[in-house]
Amino acid sequence: MDVESVRFWSLLVMLCPLVGAVLAGALGASWLRRATHWPAILGVAGAVVGAFMLFGEVGSAAQGHGAVSVMIYRWVSSLPGEWFDVSVLVDPLTAIMLLVVTGISLLVVIYSRDYMRHDGHAVRGYERFFAYLALFVFSMCTLVLSGNFLLLYLGWEAVGLCSYLLIGFYYDKPSAAAAAKKAFLVNRIGDFGFGLGILLIYVTFRSLDYGTVFAMVEGGRTALGEPLTTGRVTTIALLLFCGAVGKSAQFPLYVWLPDAMEGPSPVSALIHAATMVTAGVYMVARCGVIFAASPVAMSVVAIVGAFTALLAATIALVQYDMKRILAYSTVSQLGYMFLGLGVYAGSAAIFHLYTHAFFKALLFLGAGSVMHAMGGVIDVRSFGGLRRVLPWTYRTMVVGALALAGFPLFSGFWSKDEIIHAAFVHHPFLGIVGLFTALLTAFYTFRMIYLAFFGATRTPEGVHAHESGVWMLVPLFVLAIGAALAGYVGVTIHAGGFLGLFEPHAWFQHFLEPVMAPFAVHHVEIAYAGHVQKYGLMYLSGALAILGILVAYALYVGSPMLAMLARQAFPRTYEVLSNKYYVDEAYQAWIVEPLRRVGRWCWGIDDYFIDGLVWLVTAVPRAMAFLLRTLQQGRLQGYGASMVVGLAAILVAMLWNWS
Amino acid sequence: MNETAAYVLLGSLLFAIGLVGFLARRNLIVIFLSTELMFQGVVVNLAAMSRFHQHVNGQIFALHLLVIAAVEAGIALGLVVLLYRRKGTLDSQRWASMWG
Repeated sequence: MDVESVRFWSLLVMLCPLVGAVLAGALGASWLRRATHWPAILGVAGAVVGAFMLFGEVGSAAQGHGAVSVMIYRWVSSLPGEWFDVSVLVDPLTAIMLLVVTGISLLVVIYSRDYMRHDGHAVRGYERFFAYLALFVFSMCTLVLSGNFLLLYLGWEAVGLCSYLLIGFYYDKPSAAAAAKKAFLVNRIGDFGFGLGILLIYVTFRSLDYGTVFAMVEGGRTALGEPLTTGRVTTIALLLFCGAVGKSAQFPLYVWLPDAMEGPSPVSALIHAATMVTAGVYMVARCGVIFAASPVAMSVVAIVGAFTALLAATIALVQYDMKRILAYSTVSQLGYMFLGLGVYAGSAAIFHLYTHAFFKALLFLGAGSVMHAMGGVIDVRSFGGLRRVLPWTYRTMVVGALALAGFPLFSGFWSKDEIIHAAFVHHPFLGIVGLFTALLTAFYTFRMIYLAFFGATRTPEGVHAHESGVWMLVPLFVLAIGAALAGYVGVTIHAGGFLGLFEPHAWFQHFLEPVMAPFAVHHVEIAYAGHVQKYGLMYLSGALAILGILVAYALYVGSPMLAMLARQAFPRTYEVLSNKYYVDEAYQAWIVEPLRRVGRWCWGIDDYFIDGLVWLVTAVPRAMAFLLRTLQQGRLQGYGASMVVGLAAILVAMLWNWS
Repeated sequence: MNETAAYVLLGSLLFAIGLVGFLARRNLIVIFLSTELMFQGVVVNLAAMSRFHQHVNGQIFALHLLVIAAVEAGIALGLVVLLYRRKGTLDSQRWASMWG
């Protein structure tokens, strides 16, 4: 790989969206107005070009030489011999992530051009929206390209900021403002741990550069040459994972993601489904050396992932808000990715990240198209039979839903199978959780599809439902193609190449091999045949997906009475699920309220005690002023009179002394 | 009563009349006139004392004071005009904005 061209293309990837954001923000309100989408679209398109060129650079490099670290400039130089650079690391993982991030971003920005207008009129804040969106792409590319932990942290926080700004885009809506605040605060909790993890890395290795740190972890030495204890590595890994739990919405910090659906749908598609929330997965994969060195941390990652996948999937079963169903499914799918990482199947996790980006962005954009047509209503109870009203939205969304459900031959099928397979090898229990979640996924996805698109045609009152325009449909088509076919880059031997129909080339996995080497150390490849029959799992998961779809069909299309009966048969379960296990309420009661009480207490001390002291101190000059200010009435004659009195007093005193 | 005493008495009388006018009147011009009156009382006193002591210093002082008074009158009347323009009245009470 040519260092100079890598430097050029990575700068292009980072700077194009930044320039677009600045132009959209600076010129949008006064000059470009309804054409403000152009700087954003062109900026992101520039990033796409850069991403493809970088991908080409990495792809054409010889095996094992597909990684290059480039210093762009010295950022901070603190102590002698210690400095922090703005540096980029380009390797297969970066290349894949950049393609996903910039590609989805471009489609979403194009989609937003129509989504952010109603009846041809741009919504208020149109230019603000595109400026934020392009700023987000810049931040995300920085996060992905970064070659050290400091720049990673910068990108990490910047995407959090953009997420906050975009969730609260409709800031005059109280629920959106509250959701933005919640997302920011919950992420702060995770980021605090993440920041501590980076500090601990610095303290231990005296460097934040990926290459230096990972080499020292592999060598098992700290910067002082002392042996690196497992406890220290575990602490670092768990602290880093803290950040991933916050950013990637895992238990117990997943609560912000469903609320984040208050933002405009393109934002949900881009930030809260395809890219930003996968930053945690990317980070854990990037720090594979650190995580793989600590079996405890890996188990934590796997268990948190599996638990979150199951938890979120059960909640999604009974939600009625289309975007919330998708949000819980995102949480659940992210859980899958962490499960994959935790069972040493790093490339499977990234594979799922990659396919998930397509089908989840597609589903969110489809939901946005429905919402756009329904005049902002997104509750599946208030409409139905939309397949006749929105035929193209319906078709593309079904493709996305099939991929999400893991229907055989769609992209989600390949990647999810990989993870479940690896989970079985690692521990059968994790595999069973994964399989069961796959069943639930198929069910709730098609429950949503059937409720919204089947049955009698109903639309909310006063809404003239119409299919979306070309700017919105083209991204949907492109994503639908991706959702259907993206999996074929990673057809693997575990899925048996699907009955021998496909060559099990596993191109994706081989491409990532150099980066995923630390995971592979513990990955027992041969054990597959022993634990699970080669095709058995594939049949099973395919059958479960179809079963889930059929059950959903029976309940919501075949005889809707059954769904009512099922709900009445388990009223308590339904109650708990539709209230999301009361997690929000529990946080409110046990964390938010006590903290608020402490806050009120501190406020009381401040207001009464400290302010009282200050008041006492100021009382002295105030009392003096009270006495003295009567002397100064502002009346000319008053001053004259006091002058005369003074003069008289002096005269009297003089006469007195004289005599 | 000798000559000097009469002049000193006249000066004191002028001063007292000026003082009363200064304290009692509200018209800015009249107040100013009263201060001039007090001034002249002092000048008369100085001239009388010069005569009494057979020394020229008092008269020199008196002449200086007259010049200064003329200059000061110019400034003060200019101020009065400005104040009048601000409020449209010559009432000194209207300027009691610091009253608190």
